[in-house]
Amino acid sequence: MTVQERGAYRVIGQGIPRLDAADKVSGKAEYADDFHVPDTWYGAVVRAPVACGKLKSLSRDPAFDWSQVAVVTPEDIPGNNIVDMMGRDMPFIAHDEIQYLGEPLALVAAPSLHVAKQAAAHFKVDVEERPALLTLQEMVAVYKEDPAKLHKLSGQTIRKGDAASALKDADIVLEREYTAGHQEQLYIEPQGMVAIPERDGTMFIHGSMQCPYYINPELCETLDIPPEKLRVKQSAVGGAFGGKEEFPTLIAGYCALLALKTKRPIKMIYDRNQDILYSTKRHPSWSHYRVGVMKDGTIRAIECDFVLDGGAYTTLSPVVMYRGILHAAMGYRCENVSIDGHVYRTNTFPNGAFRGFGAPQALWAWESLIDELAAACGMTPDAFRLKNCLHEGDVTPTGGLLRDSVGSPEVLEKTLERCQFAEKWQQCSRGKSGERLWYGIGLSFFAHGSGFTGDGEARMKSKVALDLETRADGTPIVNVRVSSTEMGQGTGTILPQVAADALGIDVTHVDYPMPDTFKVPDSGPTVASRTAMVVGSTIYSAGQKMKADLESFVSETLFDGQPTELVENQFRAEYDNRSIPFVEGAAAYLASHGPFRVYDQFKLPDYVKWDQENFVGDAYPAYAWGCNVAEVEVDTLTCEFRVTKVTAFFDIGRILNPVLAMGQVQGGLIQALGYAMMEKLAIKAGKYDADRMQTYVIPTSVDGPEMDLHFVEYPWDHCQPGAKGVGEAPMDGLAPAIANALEAASGVRLRDLPLTPERLFEELSRSQRLTA
Amino acid sequence: MSTKTPTSFEEMDCAFPSSLAEALDLMADESTRGRPLAGGTDLMVQWESGVVNRPERSISVKGLPELMGISEAGDELVIGSGVTHMQLRSSDLVQKHVPSLAEAATTVGGFQIQTMGTVGGSVANASPAGDLAPSLLITEGRVVVANREREREIPVTEFWQGYRKIDLQPDELIIRFHLPKKSAESREYWRKLGPRRAQAISKVMGSCRGQVLDGQIQSFRVAIGSVAATCVRLTGIEEWLLNRPLNESTLAEVEKRVTEEVQPIDDIRSTADYRRWVTGRMVRGFLENWLEPA
Ligand SMILES: Cc1cc2nc3c(=O)[nH]c(=O)nc-3n(C[C@H](O)[C@H](O)[C@H](O)COP(=O)(O)OP(=O)(O)OC[C@H]3O[C@@H](n4cnc5c(N)ncnc54)[C@H](O)[C@@H]3O)c2cc1C
Repeated sequence: MTVQERGAYRVIGQGIPRLDAADKVSGKAEYADDFHVPDTWYGAVVRAPVACGKLKSLSRDPAFDWSQVAVVTPEDIPGNNIVDMMGRDMPFIAHDEIQYLGEPLALVAAPSLHVAKQAAAHFKVDVEERPALLTLQEMVAVYKEDPAKLHKLSGQTIRKGDAASALKDADIVLEREYTAGHQEQLYIEPQGMVAIPERDGTMFIHGSMQCPYYINPELCETLDIPPEKLRVKQSAVGGAFGGKEEFPTLIAGYCALLALKTKRPIKMIYDRNQDILYSTKRHPSWSHYRVGVMKDGTIRAIECDFVLDGGAYTTLSPVVMYRGILHAAMGYRCENVSIDGHVYRTNTFPNGAFRGFGAPQALWAWESLIDELAAACGMTPDAFRLKNCLHEGDVTPTGGLLRDSVGSPEVLEKTLERCQFAEKWQQCSRGKSGERLWYGIGLSFFAHGSGFTGDGEARMKSKVALDLETRADGTPIVNVRVSSTEMGQGTGTILPQVAADALGIDVTHVDYPMPDTFKVPDSGPTVASRTAMVVGSTIYSAGQKMKADLESFVSETLFDGQPTELVENQFRAEYDNRSIPFVEGAAAYLASHGPFRVYDQFKLPDYVKWDQENFVGDAYPAYAWGCNVAEVEVDTLTCEFRVTKVTAFFDIGRILNPVLAMGQVQGGLIQALGYAMMEKLAIKAGKYDADRMQTYVIPTSVDGPEMDLHFVEYPWDHCQPGAKGVGEAPMDGLAPAIANALEAASGVRLRDLPLTPERLFEELSRSQRLTA
Repeated sequence: MSTKTPTSFEEMDCAFPSSLAEALDLMADESTRGRPLAGGTDLMVQWESGVVNRPERSISVKGLPELMGISEAGDELVIGSGVTHMQLRSSDLVQKHVPSLAEAATTVGGFQIQTMGTVGGSVANASPAGDLAPSLLITEGRVVVANREREREIPVTEFWQGYRKIDLQPDELIIRFHLPKKSAESREYWRKLGPRRAQAISKVMGSCRGQVLDGQIQSFRVAIGSVAATCVRLTGIEEWLLNRPLNESTLAEVEKRVTEEVQPIDDIRSTADYRRWVTGRMVRGFLENWLEPA
């Protein structure tokens, strides 16, 4: 099947305003903290005082007034004290081993937040403290000595060809290490959840989340209730970035356990401080490469150790690591690849999902190294990339065939031309002494796998529904029923656009109600840049089915059986040119049949083959492609530097809404700029030192560079409308582009994120390049 | 009087005197005394994060007429302690006579903080990263404080006594600042290095006031923040520079001497090594400005 030309769509491709804009601007949108259920109590967590140790006893201060306080300890958990995620190694409430500072030891609830907090502070905890392993640096030091001394959470290899012997044949071998630290999602709205025990035994979870169908079933085992008794509904979400992927199961669990105990609604809203201290972060990473190249720039062999700091428990770390290793040698031709991915335990809060999901860490190292390899061959970074980049028909490091919709090399060529890379590369300062400002330009090029990694989509089989229903005002409405969430990125607008286009109607006749597991099928989690591609295409085919059914109804009941088509909001009869508006035909349908639901399910094309055990085959059904160029200016008086301009092209497949897509790119690039240049967390006495917005610094609007951003459209050919996902790719490439530019400017290379004036100063002093 | 510490803002008492006299009356008596609260941009954050215990009572001094206003008195500017950052940065008088102070005020927080935060609050908060301090120090002006009975003047250079320690009695309030204007021939400069380009707490910042005539340094005062327990005047380099020619060899020596004069620390925002080096570079940068036409 081949996707239609862009011009064949009416609603898809239009930059219509967000459907939720009015509600959000007027303050009508209801966030978790906006729910005021009568008799609600407030929950708080009693937290472990050490990062590693053994809990000996937990007792309550008898002087405190406990009469108005409910307490949940492991004994109160009806089911298993396990968070049902990967690894199944995390207890809901620690009862023996303590693996991170602040791990829950008990839950409390009280009629006011104030009393709940006070109660939580009146527990006496007796622990036997043990030495904790806290940082990536400590972990890597042990790893180099003997990996067996670490607690392994996950491992996976990729093997193609024979990297070890190919390295021996290479003209030049570079061995390099790169690191990246934690990154906090810092969504505007902190984590928040409400659990309401219903009279019929249903537990109703309502709050801030990305993935309603994670919470159900993940909580069922703990609460010991069947899935049909667990209702999960998303509230308006003020940003998530992966931070509300797996974490909400925890806070929902805390609320639900307290709700079971008290038989009352329980609310928990984290303040910023708790949110930073006790929720997931991007995994710190260490990438160690040995890469062999020939003098002409051919890449002979790639060996890579990709090691993630998993934090205390497994959670989603294996999949984050998978995506990391799948991107760690991606983008370029090479016959011999050997990658070892590892995740090890440290004693911090479990690290988790964050926009890009392992790919930004891998690409940070890989795209920095590509520049180093180019230099080693005496080539410019652009020439080296143009020589080696994958084209349609090439194979990936796992042997997957790039069959179609390959935006490479076009994104690379277009970006280079647009920013005049070759000329500007010549003008770079390279640490020239005696100049007040140094100029540098740097490049990165990358692919980002669209959809779940490996066999994820095949197992998920995303289901969607469209409901033709009657609105309160009596007019017909098509409701998009999916578990895919609107969290600020625009799902609630693009999916109605897709449905409208498939149906041949305006988007005003389509709505997107907040997902509620009692009303929507499981279209999967809203992650992995998969929603536009996987859920969007499934909605499209559901829309086509609904359209055909409505057309035959109108044909038979109103147009005497003439062939009838629904286009541009009109049912049109083919022979006598009669037509009626969509609303009229739909109302007639509703009057005669009542509400009408159409289901559909995503199916991968048969050619997508994947061996999950050996990591061989098509790791992703398609890839988005991107190229970022950063230009930097270094003030040699202070070593401060700023990115003056970013030029980028992205191929995200069919663009569903250009305004929202551009918003994703701009926002993603600014988030990547923060990752590259300022966001950092150190660990002091087991605790993140930057636990507030004063100390955890992210870019402001004036830190943003001039941006020259463009799309090229290589739609995914397998289904309509052919989107490939835009959520994560903008996070992938800016950090290495900036590091590359910084080297072009200063003559020194920084291999640890974030890139700061302090680090540049250190490197320049070391290489005695500090100039007057 | 009970000694329990309020645990929320609601549990606190806040008095709203309508004149300075009334406020000083409240401060005079231990039973009515409270923590002065101006814009609250430091206090509210400190209370919430637990860095500072909530006092049982606070006394709002925000907007008291006697603490407002910016005026001239001969060779001095008189700035009320209740003047906000926004008023400072928008004042023609400040821009003309202590320009580095106006510039510093533009870099404090964002508009919201600038609209609420006050000079008095910034000075009393006594953070080594308080952005207004260097410009106050280089004027060699005076802080006027008062209790119910009397006023007292303290040289700005003596007001900060140590880390978050100021020369203020429990019954006193900061009333105003007297800041000698720069002369027509002298110039001031300000520079702030932060982790980002706005809304940033300084890694290092500073101001200078100086005069250079025919390539020779006639006077030079420089103060730097975030490199010690308080904002500091670099008197060593100031003295060394007097009557020296402004040329490359002087500048190179300045860098070296300044790095020896400051003892900064590692903290969440920066490193001691960088701070030491960059302080020297900043002072050099200040002086280089005189090599160019004003
Ligand atoms: C988001 C944010 C960003 C910020 N950014 C910056 C920045 O970039 N640079 C910077 O320098 N500061 C910054 N600050 C700190 C703060 O804004 C300033 O220090 C401010 O000037 C304090 O003034 P205030 O009126 O709000 O003080 P308050 O918080 O009301 O009081 C501060 C202290 O001063 C005392 N006090 C107030 N008035 C008097 C008086 N008349 N007499 C005696 N004692 C008094 C109080 O008791 C308290 O101890 C920031 C703060 C926030 C919250």
